Amino acid sequence: MALLAPYTKIPEPNTATILLVESEEKFQSRLADAIVQRENDAIVNVRLARRLPLPVENSETRPRVDLVVFIVNLLSEHSLQVVENSLSHLRSDFFLGKVCFMVTDARCGALTQERLLSVKKLAASHRCPLICAEHQTEDGVAMAASRLLTLLKVSAGLSPVATTALYLSTLTRCTVPSELDED
Amino acid sequence: MDEQARAILQRILRKLPSKKTPSTLRAWGCLSAEQLEDLDYTQPKWLLLENLISKCEESGLRLKDVTKLEMVYHIENPNQGKWHAFKLTEPEDEAVSVDFTQFKEMFVAHLEEVVQHVSIRMKKQEDGAVWIRMAWGDNLTRPNHLKPTYAVHYLQTPYVFILNLSAKHKPFLYQALVLSSRHTSINEAHLSGRSLTAMRDLLMKQYQQVFPNQERTLKERNAPPSHPNIEKEHAESAERTHQMACEAFGDGTVPKLETAVYKLETRYRGSSNDTLSDRDELFRGVVKFSSPNLLESLRHCVSTGMAEAPVTPLLSSITQKGRNYFVIAEKAPGATSQTPAR
Amino acid sequence: MEGRVSAVNTPAHTRLTRRKSYGRNCMESPVVFWQTPGHLTTLGTRIPTSRGAARSRNITSKVDPEQLALLVKHEWKLAYVTPLYRFQHTQLKLYSKHLTAFILAEKQQGVAIEVGLEAGFKVTLSTIHGMAETEEDAETVFIQIHSKPTFGADALKPVWRGWLTCVNGDGEYLRSLPPDFVSLPLFCSSGSESLTSLVRVWFERTFDCNFGSLFLNSTTLNWLAALWTGCHPTSNIRFLKLSWTMPTQPSLDIMYTVNPQDAWELWNSIHTEDSAEGRIHIDEVQRFMNGLETHFFRHFKIYLSAGTLTKVATSLGSAHHEGKIKIGSSDYIDTLLTLLTECALHRTPV
Repeated sequence: MALLAPYTKIPEPNTATILLVESEEKFQSRLADAIVQRENDAIVNVRLARRLPLPVENSETRPRVDLVVFIVNLLSEHSLQVVENSLSHLRSDFFLGKVCFMVTDARCGALTQERLLSVKKLAASHRCPLICAEHQTEDGVAMAASRLLTLLKVSAGLSPVATTALYLSTLTRCTVPSELDED
Repeated sequence: MDEQARAILQRILRKLPSKKTPSTLRAWGCLSAEQLEDLDYTQPKWLLLENLISKCEESGLRLKDVTKLEMVYHIENPNQGKWHAFKLTEPEDEAVSVDFTQFKEMFVAHLEEVVQHVSIRMKKQEDGAVWIRMAWGDNLTRPNHLKPTYAVHYLQTPYVFILNLSAKHKPFLYQALVLSSRHTSINEAHLSGRSLTAMRDLLMKQYQQVFPNQERTLKERNAPPSHPNIEKEHAESAERTHQMACEAFGDGTVPKLETAVYKLETRYRGSSNDTLSDRDELFRGVVKFSSPNLLESLRHCVSTGMAEAPVTPLLSSITQKGRNYFVIAEKAPGATSQTPAR
Repeated sequence: MEGRVSAVNTPAHTRLTRRKSYGRNCMESPVVFWQTPGHLTTLGTRIPTSRGAARSRNITSKVDPEQLALLVKHEWKLAYVTPLYRFQHTQLKLYSKHLTAFILAEKQQGVAIEVGLEAGFKVTLSTIHGMAETEEDAETVFIQIHSKPTFGADALKPVWRGWLTCVNGDGEYLRSLPPDFVSLPLFCSSGSESLTSLVRVWFERTFDCNFGSLFLNSTTLNWLAALWTGCHPTSNIRFLKLSWTMPTQPSLDIMYTVNPQDAWELWNSIHTEDSAEGRIHIDEVQRFMNGLETHFFRHFKIYLSAGTLTKVATSLGSAHHEGKIKIGSSDYIDTLLTLLTECALHRTPV
């Protein structure tokens, strides 16, 4: 099976590509709009996917992917399952700072607590950051977009500050407090 | 006006929303325009009822006139109560030429022959539907107008829809329908619901169907991304799934079916490592789907990936076979065939 | 529907009276920059991974059957309650008087008057002895409101019922409460919303506590499905009814009724009886539910996991994820209440 690899293609100048994976397609298009509208300096391409692997037909036209974002809707177990199944279709070097998890509906308290913990463990075990997004308000979407852009610029090497994706991810990656990690 | 007539009037008035009351009474046509104008429809219903009754008495209206109003109400509100669909089979040669007058005469004759006290009222609508209202009595009692049976038959089609039929009167009505429409037998269509129109549209395929080879444009759903830099990786497969969903459940506005029930008696097909998979007995259960618009929900479910495409024959049978009740039985050990049939 | 619980109506827990040492604190792990604030609860995230199988106990020998009958058959709306300050079971008569006076006073202010109820109320608080399972559990308190008709000597008409209970509450937590506090974390009510809120307000003012709505998440409902199914050999559960709501447009409800014997055989093939003293592990519960969902999927190709499990019902009782329960039989009442007490403690803010 063809794995998605981060370095097989040559990057375009001043261009970054972000891949948003969400099974329900509820949040990704609004997030995509917010991302492209927000960025003025660089060219940002957004690819929307329901799951991995991506269709082979598009592999020619697809630019180099600099950041993969897995969106989990905490109210749906299925959305978590799809993400879990998708992870194995990424080449391992993506996990050196080019993958990020994002959850929605984290506010629903006790209803989603256990699933949030599962996502947290998933992110921690893959050494990836986890972002909670508020998808119900305009501000929330804009905030999520700006957080992703920050990560994207670093992972695509566009950041003016001398930092690398690997370095950033060691700072931002999700950790599970030991008291929750018993089982 | 006797007690029964009052009771029927009261029942209709209670069900009618105040706004629709004047138009329904006008459609009834038993009271003069002045009498209708005299009535104050903003009054509380009990008061309106008293005034309406006095108007009816003024005009010398009787029970049979009130039953006519009830029929008008049902024709205007075909989405009340639980309708069951039936299918006439094996038509005789004359079946295609049966007209309303013929049908009416034969139906009344056949029914009155076997039931001594039955009151029948029949009306043909513009869309070809023949509405039949039956109030049943028996050898000793007069017809009970408070529990009428309604049947709707579309002439020159095999479909009949029936509301409120008791087991006792079933054979009489079946026989009268079969004989007067020139068919040989009548069967349950395993389709029931609150909406007569939805069931009719489903059985007569009066909705936008999509066929496998049909060229279609799904642009309105899979609109191109709002920005040239946004690309959908799964656009093509999403379009395919949507196409399959439309093939199974129809496109655009679909008949407003509300439920579908599956009685399952099949071998357990859970996770492979469970010991239950090798037992001989069948796993029994009943699955009921319900939604304000079932076909639309299922279409959405498939096209958004909450269900896997292609659509399973169990679900597509709803439209293909025009049914919403299925018994899925498997022969106890060995056999693997699934037949959505009783 | 879980989806309806938007950010807007998710209560923000601003109560800061921390009484526990092991509640989580935002400051503990500085790395979790994603953390959504507001979920500090009494038990933190200590979610038990196993629990005892439901066992039929002759509860009528412990609890007055007449009182027990009061709990059966009504539909109860659930809420959690923070510990009550200076609540004394010996003062129930006095509380009855105060609550009666409070309700009358509030009603006379013209707030939410119901026709026919003006005549008056009689409130009685009583203890249901024997519901408590451990020494730490406080005894259950039952509240009943009767309306007094204006004319004649008609019998009092019950208009509202509610009870506060604690069954097998977390011992460590209960022991850690200061002596003046009584924890009855689960509040069940049945009757008009306006009376419920009056009772809540009176409790909140009198005992410095706080009420909040209690939802049952899918894990809780899964537990109930498995626990009840496990009861089948001793007490016929008649059916196992599971309801899901799919987030389609318009929304789709799926109700799956499983034959009780078949459900039990599936459970029996998953649950191994010899595992440590009849305890049930969460993995077994998950496998049981997955087994049912997979069986469903093989027929209809619909991923039930994309929807929300909204209701679980057997003849022993039913539980709705919006926080409504019905107790069908008093046989396994303590199993249900233990689980709900735990849910309530999980929701109780620190």
